[in-house]
Amino acid sequence: MKKYLPWIGLLSRLILGGVLLAAGLLKYQHLDKSQMAVRAYELLPIPFANFMGIILPFVEIAAGILLVIGAGVRLSALVSAVLMVAFIIGISWAWARGLSIDCGCFGGGGQVEPGTASYLPELLRDGGLGLMAIYLFRYPQSKFGLDRHTSDGDQNNG
Amino acid sequence: MANQKPGKDNFTRNLVIAVVIGVLLIMLVPTLLSKQTNTSAKIPASVSADRGYGIVFNDELKGVPVLDIYEDFQCPICAQFEKLQGDYIESLITAKKATVVYHTLSFLGPESVNAANAAACSADQGKFLQYHRALYANQPQENTGVWSTDVLGVLGQAAGIASKKFTSCVNDMAYQGWVNNVAAAGAKANVNSTPTVFINGKEIDRKTEYFDLAKFKAAVERG
Repeated sequence: MKKYLPWIGLLSRLILGGVLLAAGLLKYQHLDKSQMAVRAYELLPIPFANFMGIILPFVEIAAGILLVIGAGVRLSALVSAVLMVAFIIGISWAWARGLSIDCGCFGGGGQVEPGTASYLPELLRDGGLGLMAIYLFRYPQSKFGLDRHTSDGDQNNG
Repeated sequence: MANQKPGKDNFTRNLVIAVVIGVLLIMLVPTLLSKQTNTSAKIPASVSADRGYGIVFNDELKGVPVLDIYEDFQCPICAQFEKLQGDYIESLITAKKATVVYHTLSFLGPESVNAANAAACSADQGKFLQYHRALYANQPQENTGVWSTDVLGVLGQAAGIASKKFTSCVNDMAYQGWVNNVAAAGAKANVNSTPTVFINGKEIDRKTEYFDLAKFKAAVERG
């Protein structure tokens, strides 16, 4: 089993990193809308939500790039796991309160027509990505990364 | 830490991490600053900074309802709203029955910024309402490259604007700073979709009052 871990690691890195990178870049192109997406959750005070709407795409892009090239995997995985937990809390909150919003996961965001919001697929996706992040945090060794690992799986990277 | 390999690998890795985070931080700072209100930006005629940098009609009236309309010229639902309620809103303005503030947001992309800037230029010519109407009547698909500054300049003719000043104002993006200020004020006002209408500072009911002539009118008269 140990033999396969680095390959699972590589796969997780590419999927999680790729998704984060895409999500961050799409948000970066429309920052007004990104701010709007965060505000629409009605979870954070307005000025803080506006601030997060700008910061979030940058954090996603940074974590995404580092995961894809495999540098600082453990830290990037931790950041990604925190993001996914935050997204799951946000989407669950919107669902529980009956808000009709676009999750704004890949750009977009804000209020949508009542009844057209779809929360379950988003929760499942973020749950899956969150598990990958936790896996990478626990087993950061993977193929073709810049992080240096010893063959016995000792975790010594940041 | 078992060190079977020299530290060279980690040097490359740390350098890569530093470069990635450094570049992103360098991009983040100006982005954050650009979202701040720039009080020295040039503002078009009939704009009130106290009213969220919106273009104001009947600012002087007292005791009438105040309509704040947040819109993006590229948003298709805004075009539907304009088609349905535009005549009524304009009649409120001409009959001096309400103060109307237009907030031209630009979250749909660069062509929204072009259009908002051009609308500000039309306000300088005293033709905002006419140009507003012309924009929605000629709304293209979002960000397909149709609303270049050249096209928006020519569109002035549809609003009865024949002025070189207008064309150069549109082409020079003279009010880009103001467009940013409108967006920042809209973010502060917690506007999360377009169109959004506030009457005396309170949003009307999204489910029923936007696209129903009688209900919208009742909401305005209720104040």
